[in-house]
Amino acid sequence: MLVAYLLVGAALFALGLIGFVTRRNLIIMFLCTELMFQGIVVNLVAFGRYPLDGNPTLDGQVFSLFLLAVAAAEAALGLALVVLLYRYKGTLDASVWKLLKDV
Amino acid sequence: MPSVLLIILLTLGGVGLYLAMPGGRLHIGRAGLILLAGAGAALVAAVLPLSGEYGQRIWFALLALIGLIGALRVITHRKPIYSALYFILVVIATAGLLILMQAEFLAAALLIIYAGAILVTYVFVIMLAQQSGGPPPYDRKAREPFAGVVTGFILLAVLTIRLARGDGQALSALTADPDAGLGGVVQVGTHLLTQYVVGIEITGVLLLAAMVGAIAIARRRAVADEGEVD
Amino acid sequence: MLLAQASTSLLPVDLYATLPFWPLLGAIFTGIMIALRLKAERAFWPVVLGVGVSAVLGVILFFDLPGMLPHKADAGVTGHVAEAAHEYHDPGFTHTIYNWISLGDENSLKHDQWISVNFYFDGLTGIMIAFVTVVSLMVMIYSIGYMRDHHGHPERGYERFFAFMGIFVFSMAMLVFAGNFVLLYLGWELVGLCSYLLIGFYYKKPSAAAAAKKAFIVNRIGDFGFALGIFALYMFIRPLTHSGENPLDYAVVFHYIGELSQGKITLVALLLLCGALGKSAQFPLYVWLPDAMEGPSPVSALIHAATMVTAGIYMIARCGPIFAASQTALNVIVVLGVIGAMLAATMAMAQYDMKRILAYSTISQLAYMFVALGCSTPASGVFHVFTHAFFKALLFLCAGSIMLQMGHIIDLRRFSGLRNILPHTKRLMLIGCLSLAGFPLLAGFWSKDEIVHASFVYHPIVGALMLITAGMTAYYTFRMYFLCFHGPLRLPKEAGDHPRESPPVMIAPLYVLALGAIVAGYVGVTFTMLMGDSFLGFLKPHGYFHHYLHASTVVGGEQHGGGLWLMYVSSAIAIAGIWLAWVRYGDAPVEDPDKAALGGLWRLWNAKYYLDELYDRLFVRPLRGLGRFFFATDNNGIDGLIWVVTAVPRAMGGGLRLLQNGALQGYALGMVIGLTVIVLLWRWLEINGA
Repeated sequence: MLVAYLLVGAALFALGLIGFVTRRNLIIMFLCTELMFQGIVVNLVAFGRYPLDGNPTLDGQVFSLFLLAVAAAEAALGLALVVLLYRYKGTLDASVWKLLKDV
Repeated sequence: MPSVLLIILLTLGGVGLYLAMPGGRLHIGRAGLILLAGAGAALVAAVLPLSGEYGQRIWFALLALIGLIGALRVITHRKPIYSALYFILVVIATAGLLILMQAEFLAAALLIIYAGAILVTYVFVIMLAQQSGGPPPYDRKAREPFAGVVTGFILLAVLTIRLARGDGQALSALTADPDAGLGGVVQVGTHLLTQYVVGIEITGVLLLAAMVGAIAIARRRAVADEGEVD
Repeated sequence: MLLAQASTSLLPVDLYATLPFWPLLGAIFTGIMIALRLKAERAFWPVVLGVGVSAVLGVILFFDLPGMLPHKADAGVTGHVAEAAHEYHDPGFTHTIYNWISLGDENSLKHDQWISVNFYFDGLTGIMIAFVTVVSLMVMIYSIGYMRDHHGHPERGYERFFAFMGIFVFSMAMLVFAGNFVLLYLGWELVGLCSYLLIGFYYKKPSAAAAAKKAFIVNRIGDFGFALGIFALYMFIRPLTHSGENPLDYAVVFHYIGELSQGKITLVALLLLCGALGKSAQFPLYVWLPDAMEGPSPVSALIHAATMVTAGIYMIARCGPIFAASQTALNVIVVLGVIGAMLAATMAMAQYDMKRILAYSTISQLAYMFVALGCSTPASGVFHVFTHAFFKALLFLCAGSIMLQMGHIIDLRRFSGLRNILPHTKRLMLIGCLSLAGFPLLAGFWSKDEIVHASFVYHPIVGALMLITAGMTAYYTFRMYFLCFHGPLRLPKEAGDHPRESPPVMIAPLYVLALGAIVAGYVGVTFTMLMGDSFLGFLKPHGYFHHYLHASTVVGGEQHGGGLWLMYVSSAIAIAGIWLAWVRYGDAPVEDPDKAALGGLWRLWNAKYYLDELYDRLFVRPLRGLGRFFFATDNNGIDGLIWVVTAVPRAMGGGLRLLQNGALQGYALGMVIGLTVIVLLWRWLEINGA
């Protein structure tokens, strides 16, 4: 079963990655990072449930719990930033922010 | 399982995703979605473990398919609100997968935190940023969809082929005790508050810092004039 | 030191050796006052006190020195040193303060050789140090009053002026005291530096800054030769020396110089002469001195008339044994001296700027001294240095006094008839002019006459040219005097309504100098009752001064006695020059009569023979062109090459910069591509590698 779960996790992660790279809406980009988190959660729990030495542990789940906390924190901060950026420019388009570009 | 088949399936999925991306040059929407769904189903079927309980395998296939389709819609839908709702679908499917892996407590936590808390925040923000009229241009047209899709699928293909090959098969044969009895709240809680108690404390600090940060950012007076961004 | 007979000296030698350092101490004190931003009003005290101590020590040393010197029957009067080299007797003694630079290593035979800080004492030292310190002190006292505006407030940089002057006196004393060539060079460069700093004292004035630069650069040319001469001396002398003999000490150099070949001696002499030409403003390196008059008048008086410019003469006199051994070098000196004397005297006749007239006169007088050196009578040259210091300092300070009261106007066309306004200055100036003109019985007369005598012995044509120059000297000196003090009273508007005589602090030292201008010559003559052998029946050239100089490194041919008729001729020429000036300029005409009478010649003189322009064309412009060429090479060639080298990374950067589009997702895509590449690589290695 392990490979099947890992593959699903990898697919979720890859889709999130693609979405992050291609979508221009800041909110959807953040949503895509959450999508990547889902893939990772599946991955971690699968590793914990089907470990290679045959003795299931709880470490994967605990790690996922921490990951949830981080995701929550990231969502709170990230969305606050998105709102701020939206207030500055009146748009959610990520490509209007190009301050790093040398003019 | 031959990797040729996987490659064909992944190529199909990639083409479908490219076609389904908003604003793609050859946007055909629904056709892409159907293609994708077929490819996804075939993929899930292809990777479905040969061993294991029959019911568990069906549940797995179903949940994996729901999750993947939901994820596809999250990244292809033009309206953010629908993306968010599809994301809830992904969360539910993930939670189902976790239950299949006997991680009941984590599944519940995932649903409560993601579907209950985080997604609500997202929906709030989406509402805040809502504009009248149809989807804005940046939602209607993806950014460099070809490069992104190709890169992403190459990555996925490498991982998939690597996992599905040889020893990957051997791994899939590994079956754990059907009832490990590990995912209960008692076990997780004990583990969390004994072995990982320091991590808990640090997470608490992290959440506090995030809260303070969020408040600080949200309280900033945004200036209408974009020239005064600092 | 070894030879010092301490019992016969009035004060310990070590005390005399402190002489140069008192003005330096004063200058340092003044520097501290500047640093502490104390009031400028009293800034002169430390330096004047320091120079005062030096002057007292200098005068005592002058009288004390003969007793301190090693007594030898005929020290210093060896006729031709080349013949007498093996029996050279050191006329003075070297006082070592400390050993400075070691020249030998432990293992070599010559391990005990040094470039020391040592002072050399002989007759020449005594004379030079006495008049340098006394004249310096007088100029310092004068400066207390001069460096002020017409309200009596110290002008800007008052304290800086005194600090520089203190350093100058220190440097000059070091130059005179130096017991070896390195120390001499040190003092030489230090006085050059002070000269530069003081010419450029009004550094905000572009002409002053340019003049300072010019002086410095022209001196560099001479000093280059001087340094080469010292190197050559070291190279030639060192192989001859033994352990314990410092190869650049005067005593050692002069002891061994006779063993060198004629060619080497001439080479050394000519190289040293280069330095003297620059420092003493001789043809062809004289061009800096007239411009140097941009400095304050006391600077002109002290540095550019009385002391520093005579350093070249001093150096050649000091190196008597070297120059005496090379007739070629002496001939060169005479030729350059005659050219310089004539050139400068003619130019002086067609100028209007008082200080410039005096500057050309200085060049001309220095050329006289050169002729004396070249005619193998360096004692006469040193005598003229001595007397010239008094009357030329006096003249410059008088000019400064006039300048101060005329509101810094020094152009003779702008004023005249000042005899009633500046009575003291007029009287003092008359004494100075008479002395410079060679009026009989004044200081200038005796020393100049000796030179004319010597030049007649050398060659009658040279003597005749010297006499003509003497006449011109008298003429231009009194042209200046009459234009200034005679005729109707005219004042420039810058002078204000009521110009008055300068304050006593300025006039008093002038009287001291005037006394010197009258009596300084008498140290070089002997009173005698022999009618047929003396001037006017009771005065005979060659006196105490020359005896004093016997015990020194000033060596030359025998003294030229006789030819008393020359003294009467030169008296007559001087008086004729003065009379001619009286006829033509006695009433200070507004229209210059010479300008009309001489026409083109006058214009040539007025334009200084266009030599400045010629130098500009011949040297300055080509060098500037060369500089531009190098600059362009550096700017385009070398910088261009570097530009090409840097173009590669710049092009790469330019290419890579396109990737940095600033968009978040661009970077994210880059990261994803990188991740994919790494994973692919891992996969490829897994398949092909292990």
